[in-house]
Amino acid sequence: MPDDRAIVLDRLSASLDKLSERTPYPEFAADAATPDALRGRGRALFAKRLAKAKTVVFETPQALGDYLSEHDAAIGYCDPDLAPLLRPWLGPNVELDLEFDHGRVNEYAFGITRATGGIIETGSLILTDSDTSNRLGALAPWIHIACLDPAALHETLADAITGMGDDPNIVFVTGHSQTADVEGILVHGVHGPGEQVCLLYDLALPEGHGDPDQ
Amino acid sequence: MLTPDRNPIQGRNVQLMISCLCDAFFDDAAKAAVEILQQAGCQVTVPSDQTCCGQAAYTAGDWETCRQVMRHTAKVFAGPDPVVVASGSCAAALFHEAPIAFEGESDLPVMQDLARRTWELTDFLRNALGVDQWAGSLAARAVIHHGCHTRGTATREAVRTLCAGIQGLEILDVPDADQCCGFGGVFSVSHPYISTEMGRKKVTDVLSVKPDIVISADMSCLMHQQGIAGRLGSEYPIRHIAQVLRDASMGGLE
Amino acid sequence: MNRQAVDAFASGLDSEVRQAIEAGTARVIENRSHTLAEDYSDLDGLRQLAGQVRQHALDHLDRYLPQAERRLRDNGVQVHYAPSADRALEIITGLVRASGTRVVTKSKSMASEELDLARRLADIGVEALETDLGEFVIQLDDDHPSHIVAPIIHKTRRNVADSFAKHGLGDFDDDPEVITRRARRFMRDKFLAAGVTITGANFISAESGRVAIVTNEGNARFGLAGADIHIALAGIEKVIARDRDLPLLLSLLVRSATGQRISSYVELVSGPRSASQPSGPREMHVVFLDSNRSRIVGGQTREILRCIRCGACMNTCPVYRQSSGHAYRGVYPGPVGTVLGPLLKGEDGFGELADLARASTLCGACGDVCPVNIPLPDLIARVRARSHREGTVSGDAGIPSMGGYSLIARHPGLWRLAMRFGRVLNWLPLRQLPLGVSRAWFTSRTLPRWRGGYFRRWLRSRKEGQDA
Ligand code: SF4
Repeated sequence: MPDDRAIVLDRLSASLDKLSERTPYPEFAADAATPDALRGRGRALFAKRLAKAKTVVFETPQALGDYLSEHDAAIGYCDPDLAPLLRPWLGPNVELDLEFDHGRVNEYAFGITRATGGIIETGSLILTDSDTSNRLGALAPWIHIACLDPAALHETLADAITGMGDDPNIVFVTGHSQTADVEGILVHGVHGPGEQVCLLYDLALPEGHGDPDQ
Repeated sequence: MLTPDRNPIQGRNVQLMISCLCDAFFDDAAKAAVEILQQAGCQVTVPSDQTCCGQAAYTAGDWETCRQVMRHTAKVFAGPDPVVVASGSCAAALFHEAPIAFEGESDLPVMQDLARRTWELTDFLRNALGVDQWAGSLAARAVIHHGCHTRGTATREAVRTLCAGIQGLEILDVPDADQCCGFGGVFSVSHPYISTEMGRKKVTDVLSVKPDIVISADMSCLMHQQGIAGRLGSEYPIRHIAQVLRDASMGGLE
Repeated sequence: MNRQAVDAFASGLDSEVRQAIEAGTARVIENRSHTLAEDYSDLDGLRQLAGQVRQHALDHLDRYLPQAERRLRDNGVQVHYAPSADRALEIITGLVRASGTRVVTKSKSMASEELDLARRLADIGVEALETDLGEFVIQLDDDHPSHIVAPIIHKTRRNVADSFAKHGLGDFDDDPEVITRRARRFMRDKFLAAGVTITGANFISAESGRVAIVTNEGNARFGLAGADIHIALAGIEKVIARDRDLPLLLSLLVRSATGQRISSYVELVSGPRSASQPSGPREMHVVFLDSNRSRIVGGQTREILRCIRCGACMNTCPVYRQSSGHAYRGVYPGPVGTVLGPLLKGEDGFGELADLARASTLCGACGDVCPVNIPLPDLIARVRARSHREGTVSGDAGIPSMGGYSLIARHPGLWRLAMRFGRVLNWLPLRQLPLGVSRAWFTSRTLPRWRGGYFRRWLRSRKEGQDA
């Protein structure tokens, strides 16, 4: 008895053999769908696009610290590599968990992890498995803070996609989690963060993080 | 674009297909089509054996009947001369739908040849004869209804351009102008409820701008809309684009 | 049996539902066209390009599907082929059983709707939670989605609030923000408790084995952070040739679906979590669902498989807007469903849904908006032709026979006679005639006066005048 695989592939060949001609692969630039108006480079433009995509941008750790105290964000998860670098800027009452505790998922006000890159065209952050210390930390708390080295920017979505390494889980994050399922009314923070923050600042991490081509 | 590459136009002979609806209901539109083609310098033949383009059967899914009728039509409109159709929908049936319905048939090349010779009337005036300004005047506030079968064809631009040249003709914007009026051939009787709702929306939208006339390259849409308006007790003055062009060159409404 | 089912459904549709759908579709149409107009001066060119990219992959699926399989296996993914929906169910329930979990989280996937997956998992005692907010409401109500992108487009916020209250998710409150917070709270425990998460796939690249999953809510992400096993269920047509096709297809998909430029989350998954990652699936499976797709791929309606499920065709379709998604009695409503619905039923089931292809004026609005340039009206006409050829009962209901027309239209003598004698219509009480077709027209419409023969007479007299 032929197995499932053989059944499907045999049917497929039998069916396709009936075609008198098959469509060739068209010639096109990978960024054919990048609108001219969204092209451009540079950190300033990226910061603008992030903001337009409803991502809150800070360009100094101090500003991030102020933001967290304004939000009374007392407990959060933090990437253990980032914690010592950020600690000086966070208020003394801010508690950082360096391991994500499932039992505290509803207590965490924020999660701090690294982003691997950014996409200027769409104002997106790129998260990868290798740079994200814990997927839950980047997702479950109401506020997610992605720390991004401003050197790691891609101009277009096409650059980002074609220039990716072989990380098993890559997420382009553009703004916060949202839904319009109920009467088309936009509500943010469905399952993911209700506020997406980016600390666009070179924290001078010891290893060679943040290079998407690695 | 739905239209095939057309054979280049040679000479001034054209064969006019008036459409079954003009044959049965809208004789003045058919007359006007003859007159404006002649005015544009064409030698017009109107083969008397013409009947219908076959689209009714195409949309009904009865492609056997469709092919029979289209074969008849191809026979009646044989020869090298362009076939000019006084309906965007019937023209599309011949240049777009016929080659689909004849896939795998031995006489597909005959239909492909017909397709390359078939033009909707205003497309022919504008793009085959190069008329870009229609001299004339007609004092009216008008709505242009683009039949759905002219989507993706040059007819829409042609109708707008020809109307734009007519003095005194004011073209009004209608909400949801692109939406179908719900006719759809057999659809109007197989789905009477939905068809009627669509028709009422269209008629209400059109009447909301209070036009003197509603113009189209397709009498089928206009007939449906007028029929809907009629049951609602509203006046719905319809004009084939050919009537508008002819009346404009005569300087006014009949 | 002389009324088309979609028309009957539409005429009985609750006016509140119709209004909800009208408002919902209008909103998305507006957003979509605004963004596309702002971004692209040659949208048709891009649609054609995207259509060709998709068609190329489909025309070479015998090569790309095994290639995708190889890449996935290289990435540590277990690949399954499911010739039928039943087989897919067997595979998935087998995996879920073997995992021992009682809770499964599910993201939105139209293929899973084809399997009725959540209900089938419930049958074996597994709680399969729909985590997309809209799908969650559908699940609470034991309802079916009415739209492929906006499943609860037919419901008002009051409906949703009622369901939440009924199912113990707080007192009645129809503030969408409150509703969303409650769902958030309820679901996170499930995400963490689930042993298995099931997603669909928007695209699978044959080049890299990357599975692209697009969401706004982040539910697929959470599924992939909470569970130990990830099962991605994908129709075989989801395979694309290369990674470089993704930017084009994603850009058009998202703009067409919601008018956004990119969705909140585009996730590219190519295998189980990496060694250093503490959260996420340690095991990943991809189930390729055939279920008659391999038959469609070489046939005359094959372009329908290009579909990237953006929903634009239904938003723009006046018939969909009058009748709602439920009128289409299946997983895929609107223009795409009128073709895909009957075809996915296979040889034997085709007739069941063949009437859907009747539910169109062939106005072409759908074909104009389709981001992958599917010639929808042509395909709908082809399905009609097949339905007529096979004499399907559902497809023939209320369709007038073309017999008389065929005879007259092929015989010009008869035609001319009919043109003249048609004038009797002017004297008949047409509205009262006991003919279905006649009633269907005249109940809501008048007919202009019959003037057959006048034009031909004018032509003759004119000619005689000229000859003289
Ligand atoms: S058929 Fe085209 S428009 Fe309709 S859902 Fe599919 S991709 Fe979108």
